[in-house]
Amino acid sequence: MSIKDNEKLLNIIKNLKLSPSTAISEFSKEIDDISCEQGIQAAYNLLLRSEVILNIRKPCLAIYDHAFHFIGGAQKYGLTLISVLQDQFDITIIANKEVGHKDFYAWYNLDLSKCKIKIIKIPYFEERNTPHLDPALISKETENPFHLVSKESGNYDIFVNNSMNEMVYPLSNISVLICHFPERRPKSYFYADQYTYVIYNSQYTAEWIEKKWKFSPHQHIYPPVDMEPDNRKFLKKKNILSVARFEVEGTKRQLEMIEAFLELNQKYSEIAKGWKFILVGGSNPKNNYLSKLKNTINANPEKNIELKINIPAKELKSLYQKSTLFWHLCGLAHDDPSGIEHFGMTIVEAMQNKMVPIVYDGGGPREIVDNGVNGFRVRSKAELIECSIRLFKDQKLILKLSESAQEKAQNFSRMKFEENVKAFFDRLLMIYNPLQENQSF
Amino acid sequence: MIKEIQRLKKELYRKKEEIRDLKKLVHKEIDREFQSDLEELSERELETHIGECFSSMKRNIDTKPDEKPITSHRKILGKPIILIKQVLSRITGVYSYVNLIFDKKTEFNRQSVALHQALLISFRKNRERMWQIEEKISGCEENLIIIMNKIKDLHLSLERQKNKAVNHDPTVKD
Repeated sequence: MSIKDNEKLLNIIKNLKLSPSTAISEFSKEIDDISCEQGIQAAYNLLLRSEVILNIRKPCLAIYDHAFHFIGGAQKYGLTLISVLQDQFDITIIANKEVGHKDFYAWYNLDLSKCKIKIIKIPYFEERNTPHLDPALISKETENPFHLVSKESGNYDIFVNNSMNEMVYPLSNISVLICHFPERRPKSYFYADQYTYVIYNSQYTAEWIEKKWKFSPHQHIYPPVDMEPDNRKFLKKKNILSVARFEVEGTKRQLEMIEAFLELNQKYSEIAKGWKFILVGGSNPKNNYLSKLKNTINANPEKNIELKINIPAKELKSLYQKSTLFWHLCGLAHDDPSGIEHFGMTIVEAMQNKMVPIVYDGGGPREIVDNGVNGFRVRSKAELIECSIRLFKDQKLILKLSESAQEKAQNFSRMKFEENVKAFFDRLLMIYNPLQENQSF
Repeated sequence: MIKEIQRLKKELYRKKEEIRDLKKLVHKEIDREFQSDLEELSERELETHIGECFSSMKRNIDTKPDEKPITSHRKILGKPIILIKQVLSRITGVYSYVNLIFDKKTEFNRQSVALHQALLISFRKNRERMWQIEEKISGCEENLIIIMNKIKDLHLSLERQKNKAVNHDPTVKD
């Protein structure tokens, strides 16, 4: 039963409200009919909705992510979303591996103590002892192991799937898929188009949803970025900063940026004098790409390049405040759209701290940086070098662009995110419960 | 009313939990077949697709069906039936002619897979060469930009020197 096919249903529930003793038998009959015609889940969904409309309980919402036990931008997005909704809904966080409120607080500074946590272990991945539940391992010859979560989704009024995992079939009255990027093409166990709403994090992501999944997503909400400085006084140094994971495949292009910096020093030694390049990021212990970067840096020890791996948030915040330029080349020489930055949260973090961003001209960063207005967008190492030299020579330009960058960054703040989330879910509740007044429980 | 709703909910929940198959829960087929448009695939996706095709082709190189033993499920008439079947198959020689066709097809399949693999290797080598050329071009572009910047700086420096000389020349009247 579609959530929008509600005329008959609402009349039945209105009757229940007005004359419960007489309407209840009609209601029970309706439940039986729906159960026979559309299945038990549809009948159960009707009961769930009736409870909310009749003001018997708060609406309940579940949010799922198969990677909640890892720190990540996507996970921060989903958890920040529910932190806004804790008073309106009874919320359950569904994970596949052990994780707790303390972890969420430590990683994202989010107090989610009002939310329940439910761990649904997936035997297929437990048997293989893999920390990362990769949907790509599942083919149509295998039974879909994520149907355990699909079944659980049918116990809530609203089910939010925050995963990059379209193998969960939504059974709830209202379902929301948060798409951070459409990695998979429709293949085995593909259910992204079965969700009532699809939220997307950038226009770039929306473009690829249409190309790969052949439908238009519904609601755009930029990710929350909250790296605003506590103190508005910046003591800037001649630092160039890069903040990105040290991916094993090298997709964040740290090697290319190091090469560009070395070339700057070699061919423009006078102009580049005094500038330092600091690369910050997370990494797993065994990382050949990181070793390659270290070797390149060690071969040029006098060239003022520093690596900082897995540093605490406080140290990162301090680096943002002290640094002047921000380099981000993810997407360079990459034809695969999944290798290009889908949004670019670290770029916004830098802009919030009055840094001038020089970013690759592709993907999500195009929506953040306006070329020549609040930063630069480049298509090659050569252009990166050229823009950097221009800034090295022109302090006034740095000041102008950095102020503009900080202003633009306000469009992506946590406050903006919370406003958008609240507005969206308020609309959902209006559709779900059109009879609502100021209900309290 | 609330009690009745809760009773109904409890009953439905119990029935729901007993059903394992999602299709039965929702009374409809939930899985579909999808065809990929190869033109839309990125290079990485194409590589994956090529790998999958090769695996499938290799699994099906041999088109000959497994020869099944001649049997009969009948208890009394079984043995004479088996004997008749064996004689018939020898007389008609069907299997041997059909086997010739299958052998030829299998050989063709093997050559076809080998040809595709050779073409793929050749394509990858050419692609590698193209990447190397692109990198060289990129290096030249960088040098060009650096040279252009240095020329600009030189030009500016010359202009400044020229202006300085003009300002200090006593023969130039105001």
